[in-house]
Amino acid sequence: MTTLTVKDRAGRLREEPPRGGRPRGRWKEILTGWAFVLPAVALFLVMGLYTIGSGFALSFAKWNGFTPEWLWVGIQNYKDLLYADPSLAPEMRRAAWNTLQVMIAVPALTVAIALPLAVTLNSIRRLRSLLRSVYFLPYVTSGIAVYYAWRYVLEPEGSVNLLLRALGLGSLSQPQGFLGNPSTALPTLILILVWSSVPVATLLYLSGLQAIDPNMIEAAQIDGAAPRHVLRRIIWPLLRPITAAIVLLGVRDALHGFQIFLIMTGGGPGGHTDVLGLMTYRLSFFKGLAQTLGVASALGWLLFAAALLLTLVNARMLRRIR
Amino acid sequence: MSRSRAARIAAYVALAVYAAISVYPFLWMVSGAFKSRTEILQGGHLIPQHPTLDTLVDTWSRLNFVQYFGNSLIVTGSTVIGVLVVYSLASYAFAVLNFPGRKVLFWFFVSLLFVPGITVLLPVVILEKELGVLGTHLGLVLPFINGTAPLTVLLLTNSYSSIPREMREAARADGAGEPRIFWSIYLPLARPAHITIAVLTAVPTWNEYVLTRVSISDASLYTLPLGLESLISSEVPRYNEVMAASLILVLPVIALFLFLQRYFVNGLVGAIKG
Repeated sequence: MTTLTVKDRAGRLREEPPRGGRPRGRWKEILTGWAFVLPAVALFLVMGLYTIGSGFALSFAKWNGFTPEWLWVGIQNYKDLLYADPSLAPEMRRAAWNTLQVMIAVPALTVAIALPLAVTLNSIRRLRSLLRSVYFLPYVTSGIAVYYAWRYVLEPEGSVNLLLRALGLGSLSQPQGFLGNPSTALPTLILILVWSSVPVATLLYLSGLQAIDPNMIEAAQIDGAAPRHVLRRIIWPLLRPITAAIVLLGVRDALHGFQIFLIMTGGGPGGHTDVLGLMTYRLSFFKGLAQTLGVASALGWLLFAAALLLTLVNARMLRRIR
Repeated sequence: MSRSRAARIAAYVALAVYAAISVYPFLWMVSGAFKSRTEILQGGHLIPQHPTLDTLVDTWSRLNFVQYFGNSLIVTGSTVIGVLVVYSLASYAFAVLNFPGRKVLFWFFVSLLFVPGITVLLPVVILEKELGVLGTHLGLVLPFINGTAPLTVLLLTNSYSSIPREMREAARADGAGEPRIFWSIYLPLARPAHITIAVLTAVPTWNEYVLTRVSISDASLYTLPLGLESLISSEVPRYNEVMAASLILVLPVIALFLFLQRYFVNGLVGAIKG
């Protein structure tokens, strides 16, 4: 999706604005152009280019952040992460496995909830805009405060356990709390991630549904098509580009985002909710004097490579769908 | 008729159930914020039996949340202003001016979209330590501004490009220079795009926790997320205070959303579809 976007824009840029005639006017135009972009470029050179470059260099060195010298080690950091280091490699594999589960489960469940929700919401008239605002709330407030609120309701004596017992589903309640039990912690976090990504997905589906010609659906209904057939044969194929965009966003978030894991479990219990982003963060900032900064950088760049690869694959699939 | 009516009722029931799921943690946040220390330990009731304002008042003043709130306003406000100034200028140049390097630069900014925040987080911290801005509000604002570059440049360049070129030519014929055209034609006409950028920047900045956590160590510079975290890192978190602090953090965002909902929605659909 993103690559397509970028190409569209670049195409638009290619139509050159009319030139400024005389040579003197031309120079003035060049200087004006550069004056306008100067602040952005200056900030980018310092905060963007320099940090990207030094971070990439650091991934080939060992350093603890305090000694004056970096120790160059070539691609050893990458090897250590992928297979060579007996303590790092298994940790990385487990974090990668958890990340993969998040990457598959969150987009799939988001689509499974958001599409029916949008279709239902689109079929009613009264209360539609009120409900839309209510559904949007989890996205707007997503962040530390809401994660703490979830922690509160998921406590051993929290309201989710009480609710389950009150509904006669006491067997589903978790006496140690949903985040304390190794087998429920990751699924719980996945459900919260779905909860916070459903709003944007629903919004996108709604805008897609409103672009579908109602006559088409009416014609199918007159021909006797059942609602679920209309959904499967007409609505689902037309909304496929939106589905692809939602999946792409979900995959990117799974690779880039780790905030919820940091705030709600810190990777625990016992590493059961550790993900690659969180592992990078830990190696970067919580290893004291150990020389882990190079490995942390290397892991960051592996994440970058994975994200880029998945974006390209997705963009190609998207083009085929279209 | 009765069948379609039943279907409609079923639709409303399903929508109501999901609405309840959407607001579930907020209901308990509000409930917890109005409970006293003893009542929160008993748990149970969503509606507090002895609702009290003491917890909120206490969190606001004794626990210093008034100060954290001010710090959050400073950081978020400076970031939004910085983003609007720096990238409206740059996007204007990308959209309408003609100078060598224009396309390359535009590509550079947009390609930053592919670099995950976590990949550059460590180098940013190392660099800021060397520059001596680590641990200050400026040290937060600079990377926050730079981080919004890809999306902001995309949205603003697009919006400026859609303004008819004839207006610019007419102003030039009247003798107006570029700064003047930018200021009195493009800025006012692209106002909706600027508001969209402002809200899409303000909300994540207000909530930002990851870089702030590793940068700021001086408690007098804490923003709301750090203040909130400091409440929960004590041995037994007092959830009534945690929920009161959470409420203080989300209320401004909800208010912003309710007033500027249209810009949120347009911005998101535009950013993803664009």
